[in-house]
Amino acid sequence: MSRASSRTLIASALIVLALSLLALNAAGYIQPAENLVLRPLSAFQSWLATRYAAVRDFIASPSDVTTLQQRNAELEAEVARLQQQVIGLQEQQAEASILAALLKYAREQPESSYLATKVIGRDVSPFLRSIWIGSGSDQGLSRGMPVATDRGLVGRVIEVRASVSRVQLITDPEAAVNVRFQQSRADGVLAAQLNGELWVDLIDQNAEISQGELLLTSGLGGGFPDDIPIGRVLSIRRRDYELFQQAVIQPTVDFDNLDIVLVITNFLPVGASDGAQ
Amino acid sequence: MLGILIGIPLMALLAVLQSTVLSHVRLLDGRPDAVLIAVVSWSVARQADEAMAWGFIGGAFLDLFSGVPFGSTSIALVAVAYLISFPEGRFWESHVVMPLGVMLVASTVFHVLGIATLLLIGRPMDLNGSLTRVLLPSTFMNLVLILPALQLAYGLSHRLFPPEVKI
Repeated sequence: MSRASSRTLIASALIVLALSLLALNAAGYIQPAENLVLRPLSAFQSWLATRYAAVRDFIASPSDVTTLQQRNAELEAEVARLQQQVIGLQEQQAEASILAALLKYAREQPESSYLATKVIGRDVSPFLRSIWIGSGSDQGLSRGMPVATDRGLVGRVIEVRASVSRVQLITDPEAAVNVRFQQSRADGVLAAQLNGELWVDLIDQNAEISQGELLLTSGLGGGFPDDIPIGRVLSIRRRDYELFQQAVIQPTVDFDNLDIVLVITNFLPVGASDGAQ
Repeated sequence: MLGILIGIPLMALLAVLQSTVLSHVRLLDGRPDAVLIAVVSWSVARQADEAMAWGFIGGAFLDLFSGVPFGSTSIALVAVAYLISFPEGRFWESHVVMPLGVMLVASTVFHVLGIATLLLIGRPMDLNGSLTRVLLPSTFMNLVLILPALQLAYGLSHRLFPPEVKI
């Protein structure tokens, strides 16, 4: 057999194997094996995410670097040890301040019970807007649970494994949230555009929405609890010949810098697999 | 066989790195594709058969950290490694620009197959945005990284499989 045909054979065999995996996964047979592989990998992923956040915070704080360099001049060996300590403490402090803000938020919403969990990674596909969090079914998470921070709604859990879960962000074009404007009380449906912009559609033409108005979840449809902040109105598009008006939203959550999130564990969504909730 | 065995922990490591670290290294919505770069480098520096196995393993690990259908990235990476294997001999080493050319083709094929998979499962896609915000920036970053990655692959290949010398 020539080398070229041997390669074709190997490629065909591997593609058939991958197609079998696709079929087995669609039938749900792969999940136990996935959990088995993901458990050690997610532990490593969590460890790496913490170290990466520490290094990122260290680089982003030049004043502390200067201080450490001054100490370094005084006592090089001692500072090397201190430097390591400072990095660790900075990370702990950053985490503590996030947790304090989340705790304050949780205390202000006593009707919900929360589970604080770390963001350990992002979807490796650049076309999907979702994150991986370091809690799963072992911690009592289930599909459909809403996820928030002290600043507002992040998304909801759409995939649960033993020790990790995947959260679909509200910036994903497949996510849809029923919303209400705080002052005008107008209802609408929030949907992310394919370019990443957040739009609220299906707003009554007669509603008087103003720029900067706060947007909250409405709780309609039972997909999310009501009154979770989402963002502020950036601009409004109203045309007389259209049935509804639209609004562009600036989200309150910084989706690029999510470190710790809160999963609302006592909220049971209605029809979690539906599109608009 | 050793080449394939080395690929298992390496692909796992690169998939975790892709999810935790490289997802923050962004140019518009594009990111460098560590597993793709590794597969292309190994295919050029060593053997296409091993690179195809790496592609299968790496794709499976990547799909563990993604919402795309499990197995679809494996198909894309095996296809990329297979395409690269067509020119026989030391074609890719014939000119310094060749690795850049192969990365350009590999990155385009990889992302086009990724988009096709998502379209097949009925996900709404902005093709223009995917091209300008994901495919082009990702390809640019992959092109920047392929030359050092290739040197690493040559180094690893020579260390693990030193060429036979006749005395």
